[in-house]
Amino acid sequence: MSTVQRTGVDDETRTKRTFEYAPGVVDRDDPLHGELLELNMGPQHPATHGVLRIQVLLDGENMVKVEPDVGYLHRGKEKTCESLGWRKFFVHTDRLDYLQPLMNNCAYALALEQLGGIQVPERGQTIRVLLMELSRIMAHLIYLGTTSIDLGAVTMFFFTFSEREKIYALLDAYTGHRMNNTYIRIGGVYADVEEHAEREIRAWLAQFPRKIDEFETMLTGNRIWYDRNRNVGILTPQMCKDWSLTGPNLRASGVEWDLRKQQPYSGYEHYEFEVPVGTIGDCYDRYAVRIEEMRQSVRLAEQALDRLARTRGAEFLADDRRYVLPPKSTVHTSMEELIHQFKIVTDMSLPKGEAYHAVEASKGELGFFVASDGTSHPLRCHIRAPGLMNVQAIPVLAEGRLFSDMVSIIGSLDFVMGEVDR
Amino acid sequence: MVIVKRKELSLAEKLYLPEVLRGLSVTFRKMFEPKVTRQYPEEPLPKTEVTRGQPRLVVNEDDAIACVSCGLCEAACPAYAITIDGGETDRAIEREPKRFDIDMLRCILCGFCEEACPKDAIYMSDELELADYSREALIYDIEKLKRPKAALQKRIDYVNRINKRWQTPSST
Repeated sequence: MSTVQRTGVDDETRTKRTFEYAPGVVDRDDPLHGELLELNMGPQHPATHGVLRIQVLLDGENMVKVEPDVGYLHRGKEKTCESLGWRKFFVHTDRLDYLQPLMNNCAYALALEQLGGIQVPERGQTIRVLLMELSRIMAHLIYLGTTSIDLGAVTMFFFTFSEREKIYALLDAYTGHRMNNTYIRIGGVYADVEEHAEREIRAWLAQFPRKIDEFETMLTGNRIWYDRNRNVGILTPQMCKDWSLTGPNLRASGVEWDLRKQQPYSGYEHYEFEVPVGTIGDCYDRYAVRIEEMRQSVRLAEQALDRLARTRGAEFLADDRRYVLPPKSTVHTSMEELIHQFKIVTDMSLPKGEAYHAVEASKGELGFFVASDGTSHPLRCHIRAPGLMNVQAIPVLAEGRLFSDMVSIIGSLDFVMGEVDR
Repeated sequence: MVIVKRKELSLAEKLYLPEVLRGLSVTFRKMFEPKVTRQYPEEPLPKTEVTRGQPRLVVNEDDAIACVSCGLCEAACPAYAITIDGGETDRAIEREPKRFDIDMLRCILCGFCEEACPKDAIYMSDELELADYSREALIYDIEKLKRPKAALQKRIDYVNRINKRWQTPSST
């Protein structure tokens, strides 16, 4: 990470701020002082955002020791990939971080394309960017809704969910499913965006910034939101590096690191957008960064739609018969195409080698490492899920603080257990 | 790069009460907006030709099933939901499935079978509701999967439309 630029506050102020707010003041006259209570938070606790169990050792209201326990949703995805083969694993990537299935699809496809040296046509890349930005908005809406309902703002939950429902309706009308879209293919996407879908997405994007303003009306100046998030769970850039935190959590600490800018993929270098960064790195900054990211995603999606309008009718799938299914009409008439069809479905193999490709997902760097021995089944598929790193940061942030801060910290770190346990 | 603002609370916001009223004004305005709740079973979700519902087998105009039991959908299925036993037939296409079962409890509606089928025999219908009293009843056999071509025509047209790429066959 040589190009990291530090912004905002210097280290001294940052440390000062950390200790300005003293949460762990233990009342030594309390008769119960010194008696520790072990508390299990989860795996069914609604504030743990899935099946995460956290063992907390409490001294009164203060957390002495915090230990997250992951694995309740382990389904062996990485091993499944080895037995399923390259193509069939796409449906499993949907179910990793189920709030942004299209993003996972893209990350996996990009890793395979890097391994196979496949060029995706421009229109295919643009459609992917559009879908990835829509998924980012969807995932951030869930973050906003669930975090605010955990902190007591029930109305916000319904506001964000009704917006998210509209994206789901768009995806339903355009990709065929609301969740688990399985829409991305090696070399491009499954189908082209039709003109009416473009219009509908544009109409939704036009009204969405007003909705973000509305969310901010509810939260930004809200005293409860303010008190429960300000100066809670402060992450310094060094801590982020130590715990390999990426994405909005890292940016909220003031590090400008966005894979869309630093290692552009899918043509992100041609788009105009800003990377939002925070100054202190507390829960409030993480909230503000995600709100700004949604606005930037709207900008990106609009630019992608403009590009789609320019390239209408162009190819959206790579013309590569080793990996891409031939069009159906030719399968009926040409023997070679029929052979390709059978070969790709039953025995599509990628060249020998290794590849790692990461995308900037809503929760951080989502990377797929794939190793191939030249056969139709991967030798190894490792998923670098950002959620796991975010879970690791819970004890660092929570220990020594009040128990009520735990909910803010869990909410603001933002993880999905489907991806953490995979 | 844009540095996000850290808003400091004004006096009115610190007092909290005016802010409660301001927040309630947003909530109050919402009361007069159109309802977004859908009364689901009575008011079904919109279905288009894009909707990927449960897979169904095409029956051609001559009442014969289009499937030739090549087993490509079985190979493409990531959920191992399809089981096929092939057999001979007197018809011109020579082969047809003796048994074609789709375990609807396993099916994840991904559409890979439709994509793989070289004979246009299996299509994703817009049928989505799935409920029964036993697991066995949800393993659909040929009789339950058969649909006349006309019922699937919209989906067939859609698949043909999205496959209109590379007009000339490639030389690879």
